[in-house]
Amino acid sequence: MDKRSGFHFDVKWVFILLILAFLLVFLVFPLLYLLFRAFFADGSFSLDAVKRIYSYSLNWDCLRNTLITASLSMVFGVLIAFPLAWLVTRTNLYGRGFFRTLFLLTYMVPPYVGAMAWMRLLNPKVGTVNVVLKNLFGLSEAPFNIYTVGGMVWVLTTFYYPFAFILLCRALERMDPSLEEAARISGASPVKTLFTVTLPMMLPSIGSSAIMVFVAAASCYGIPSIIGAPGKLYTITTRISEYVATGTSQGLADATVLSVFLMVLSLVLLLLSNLLMGKKNRITISGKSMRPNIVDLRKWRIPLTILTSIFAIVIIVIPFLSVIATSFTQNMGKSVFAEGNLTVRFWQNVFTRSTILKSALNSLITATLAATLGMIICIIMAYLLKRTNMRGRKIPDFLISFGSGTPSVVIALALIMTMSGRFGLNLYNTMAILVIAYMIKYMMMGMQSTISGFSQIGPVLEEAAAVSGAGWLRRMKDVVIPMLLPSIVAGWFIIFIPSFYELTMSNLLYSEKTMTLGVELFRYQMNSSQQTAAALACCILLLVLILNLVMRKLTKGKVSI
Amino acid sequence: MSEIKLVQITKKYGKVDVLKGFTETFTDGEFITLLGPSGCGKTTMLRLIAGFERPTSGEIWLDEKPVSTDTVFLPPEERGLGMVFQSYAVWPHMNVFKNVAYPLKLRKLPKEEIREKVEHVLEIVNMQDLAERMPDELSGGQQQRVALARALVAEPGVLLLDEPLSNLDAKLRESMRREIKDLQKRLGISILYVTHDQSEALSMSDRVVVMNEGVIQQAGTPMEIFHQPANDFVDQFVGQVIRDQMADIESFSGVRG
Repeated sequence: MDKRSGFHFDVKWVFILLILAFLLVFLVFPLLYLLFRAFFADGSFSLDAVKRIYSYSLNWDCLRNTLITASLSMVFGVLIAFPLAWLVTRTNLYGRGFFRTLFLLTYMVPPYVGAMAWMRLLNPKVGTVNVVLKNLFGLSEAPFNIYTVGGMVWVLTTFYYPFAFILLCRALERMDPSLEEAARISGASPVKTLFTVTLPMMLPSIGSSAIMVFVAAASCYGIPSIIGAPGKLYTITTRISEYVATGTSQGLADATVLSVFLMVLSLVLLLLSNLLMGKKNRITISGKSMRPNIVDLRKWRIPLTILTSIFAIVIIVIPFLSVIATSFTQNMGKSVFAEGNLTVRFWQNVFTRSTILKSALNSLITATLAATLGMIICIIMAYLLKRTNMRGRKIPDFLISFGSGTPSVVIALALIMTMSGRFGLNLYNTMAILVIAYMIKYMMMGMQSTISGFSQIGPVLEEAAAVSGAGWLRRMKDVVIPMLLPSIVAGWFIIFIPSFYELTMSNLLYSEKTMTLGVELFRYQMNSSQQTAAALACCILLLVLILNLVMRKLTKGKVSI
Repeated sequence: MSEIKLVQITKKYGKVDVLKGFTETFTDGEFITLLGPSGCGKTTMLRLIAGFERPTSGEIWLDEKPVSTDTVFLPPEERGLGMVFQSYAVWPHMNVFKNVAYPLKLRKLPKEEIREKVEHVLEIVNMQDLAERMPDELSGGQQQRVALARALVAEPGVLLLDEPLSNLDAKLRESMRREIKDLQKRLGISILYVTHDQSEALSMSDRVVVMNEGVIQQAGTPMEIFHQPANDFVDQFVGQVIRDQMADIESFSGVRG
């Protein structure tokens, strides 16, 4: 299509260069600078900063904690996600569609909400579950303590297994069902088929989803900051944040070294995951006869449905109820149902305090800008990838994936180091720096949505418009964008939602004037009022739920989270 | 001994009637083709016989044994059939030998016997030299042969083939047609073959069952179907297409010489 020769001016080049410039300035340069600072702090190569950082035992603890919690969450997350994904995509489990949606929904819940909920439930002194169990069995000591490595693993697992679940569901749905049917007709029972055909063929996806969980858990800030604080349990992310918070140049230097470690770890693992998935795509996707091959669970149907329900209640229902209950509790030492302990004043706070309203407005503005600007880039990039064979189109694509794979703390720190005027551009303390950070981190998800939309629309439709005499911009406006609308809407929400409640980056990049909702909630949670934080969290959850319903409606059920 | 008896089979998906009272008996050693346009219910019929789905009503008997009735339903693994899928469904994580050996391993045959049988069947499909290859190193035609070998290795009485040639190029299709036909004669098995390709059906089958909208339009030898179509649909769908093809060939050879 685009093999015109000579120096013909092509408007597409303008777009690709603008996108490339954006990514170079706000992603590549800051990250490279971070690397540079870690090893060339004084202009010449030196490992002094590295040596200093690793001479503190506290830093070794935080490295160890990160690796242990992320590894265990990865193992448990996959152990939970694969059976669940198999049950909802491949069997006649009762309510499998409902369960699928339910487990996917938790993907859109901010992780710090999980930490808040489980803290209330498993706090060694007043945790609801502990109190109930103590009374029930006459125990003298609380059976659970959330402020431990185990507690952190538990919360990380319950909030990051959906990453693996989504990936595995998609992989199972895209697998040619004939592959399993061939095993059945060869004489294999459903269980034998699962273990000799389905599972081995899913190994690349399982490996890749395990890596996703590991990286997400290792880069998580919301959970370890809330769970880890009381027990002085540090991870790399919380440690980086503390170093940055000191505001000294040595603090920044130390944060830099730690974040380079986290960045390299994440990116190497994600590269590995891409290799795994690349191999997988070549062999198991057939695109033909996509009839779902449903395994009849027979006598296991009811027990497995009950088991799945119990899991959903423990992982989703109880924590959310606990957050709701907290938001109505006057005295946190007592049950919400105790005499005179029910109050709505924290909800009143949420809707009347001007600081909270201001933060909500800030979040609304920054998330809307990030989603809108992000989607413009996504649409153009998806178009260039799917519809042209323009040289260099893969570079911005790679950079966008690279940005999303970079841990949030690292992005934020890199932006602080480079965009505070040192290089002539001072965005620190502005909304722009927040918008840029959100775009870098979440643009890829919007792009995936747009690309899958493109895959469903044949290029012929656009060619028909071209033959009718429509130029490129005209074709985008009249044909491509209207047909892509559902995917674009979905992509917009997928960027908007996590940007709206973002905590990790905002917490490093906000100023008093640009305080966001995530930071506001976090400050209430850590400093003054857990109940106000809980009420805020309820509002966020409600909003996520409503947006998800709107998204379904707008895309006619085709796209939801 | 392999007889398939289908009695008043119906199949509904929601409100859509895919099969409306399908009754037919396929006898031992026959090459039967289910022929019809896409959506006529032919593949559904094959899947019901294989046991991947259960009929809404009606009975399926294999060798005088009920495998699917109101009260009985044998899963595919207990029906002892062989099947070749449209997408071949060769397992990408096993090499050729392991793919073909899989049905025998499930039957817990001794290792030596498995080796013998797999080598024998690979020879039949002319793949003996590629036993160690992985599927992604094979061409479409070669994967097809692996799928065929895997379906034959446990010596089923009936072989089910679901549009097995539709993913091959025209030339390969031609030669595979002949090979499958030879194989059936040599091994003396029954074949139930599903296709939408008229000339494929007429050239290979002992008997053709023409279907449309879930109903059998006509069942008979290829000659009967071609020369004595039972209704307009059969005449249009089979007769007209073949006549057009022949006319094309004639006009082409007329021009040439």
